Amino acid sequence: MKNKITIGPQHPALKEPISLRLTYDGDIITDADLRLGYTHRGLEKLAEGKSYIQNLYLTERICGICSHSHTTAFALGVEQLMGIEPPKRGTAIRTIIAELERIHSHLLWLGVAAHEIGFDSFFMYTWRDREHVLDILESISGNRIHYAINTFGGVRRDIDQDQRSTILEQIAHLQKRTEYYLNLGKTEPTLTARLAGVGKLSKEQAIDLCAVGPTTRASGVAQDIRKDDPSLSYPDVPFEIALSDTCDVLGRVVVRIKELISSYTIIEYLLKNLPDGEIRVKAPRKVPEGEVISRYEAPRGENIHYIKSNGTDKPERLKVRAPTLANYPATVEMLKNVFIADVPLIFAAIDPCVCCAERVIELVDSHTGRPEIITMSQLRTEANNYYRKKNIRNKEYLWPW
Amino acid sequence: MNAETLSLRLQESFGTLAEITVTGPRRLICKIASDQLKSVVTRLRKEFHFTHLSTISALDLTDRFEILYHFADSELCLTVRTEISRETPEISTITSIIPGAILYERELQDLFGIKIKDIPDNRPLLLPDDWKEGNYPLRKDWTFQMPLETIPGDDHSEK
Repeated sequence: MKNKITIGPQHPALKEPISLRLTYDGDIITDADLRLGYTHRGLEKLAEGKSYIQNLYLTERICGICSHSHTTAFALGVEQLMGIEPPKRGTAIRTIIAELERIHSHLLWLGVAAHEIGFDSFFMYTWRDREHVLDILESISGNRIHYAINTFGGVRRDIDQDQRSTILEQIAHLQKRTEYYLNLGKTEPTLTARLAGVGKLSKEQAIDLCAVGPTTRASGVAQDIRKDDPSLSYPDVPFEIALSDTCDVLGRVVVRIKELISSYTIIEYLLKNLPDGEIRVKAPRKVPEGEVISRYEAPRGENIHYIKSNGTDKPERLKVRAPTLANYPATVEMLKNVFIADVPLIFAAIDPCVCCAERVIELVDSHTGRPEIITMSQLRTEANNYYRKKNIRNKEYLWPW
Repeated sequence: MNAETLSLRLQESFGTLAEITVTGPRRLICKIASDQLKSVVTRLRKEFHFTHLSTISALDLTDRFEILYHFADSELCLTVRTEISRETPEISTITSIIPGAILYERELQDLFGIKIKDIPDNRPLLLPDDWKEGNYPLRKDWTFQMPLETIPGDDHSEK
């Protein structure tokens, strides 16, 4: 590893920073450390001073990609406290938006992972497919990212017959595209060779470190809140959770592609069997005293909200634990004893809610203890050069489909 | 098994150490004293297979802190509640039993000022490096006044 000193990356405005501190010995990472807190916005304290309906919009802005997961978890919790239940049609529309969000998040991630290994045409294909999903979301809710479709008691906008037929057409098109990506692994052995064996996290480690989402499902742990703690319309829809037992980045790719396919079937089922009726019921302004735990399966894993109310129209305490935080201890474990060239891919494989962010990585030479700062884009270029020179066609890995 | 059956089994197993209540179709609460934390968590993990810790929340009830450990298995959610005093807020760590709890405990130390005994990693998690000691933002008595916005160069003595 040549010694380079870089003075911090240029951050485009919307990207979130996180700092990784890696101790290395030649080519191998011996220790990893994480520094958080660069985007700590004091949301939990802020939520205590705002009313519930203001908090609905505040929780949506916790994240851009999983925005619907935070509002839905919050709305489900508060509706339980209020003692109201949204009508079936409202719940079905919430579930359809949730699955659409899962699709666009996974397509985005596939593109990012492809970009991390230098497969830029795959990146362009999946992001073009993602545009179809964002167009659907815009036609339903008016926005590509923060949909603002939830309210206490149901949803704010309905889906009419024209929108239904357009969505079904687009989903059929996306299904063909995803099956093409599925067969990509069989015909392109370098893809499998590059992804397999990287970022190993055994089943015991995944359970001990309380990992969530596709990261842990790729290690064979069958944890999916849509089956364990079902809410919304999931009890009525038949689907399978995606599992893999390869415990590495290849498993995580396969799990996400399988989830894409099951999301298409869920959306088709819900649209074909959309119940009639109202989309929302009226909600009271003041919430009776109580506390509730609301869990939701976001695209990245388990999202948990704990809400305590005190009888007024402002919450007493809101605690949010987003899924990426739960995967950080597992990431630190996965980064030990790997090549420096694998770092961008492993970190991207947990699908951090920072997507193509420029993160500052600090590399500490384990012999001299001297730190140097290097940007992620430089690390990625060097990683790809390393693998270009190394002959990886010798690896005996099979596409597990 | 559903929540009622599990609550009866838990109450039988723990006896007077814990008070188990069912608060919803898949929600249980287990109230214990703070010095029993480690033994209760070990038994929950080994005998009842609650291996997944979702998160740790803390509440500031003005005269005491209440800490909630949210555990989950493949069917329901169990919350372990314990109270500690506000003057000497201390509780022992559970990272020896559940290594994944480390970030949640560091967050408690940082934002509430609760001291976690024997924690393997003592650094603050979220607050900036130049944060003043003794300032715990999530406590109810910590308030923040936004500084008044002034235009540089204006003569403020007229206002």
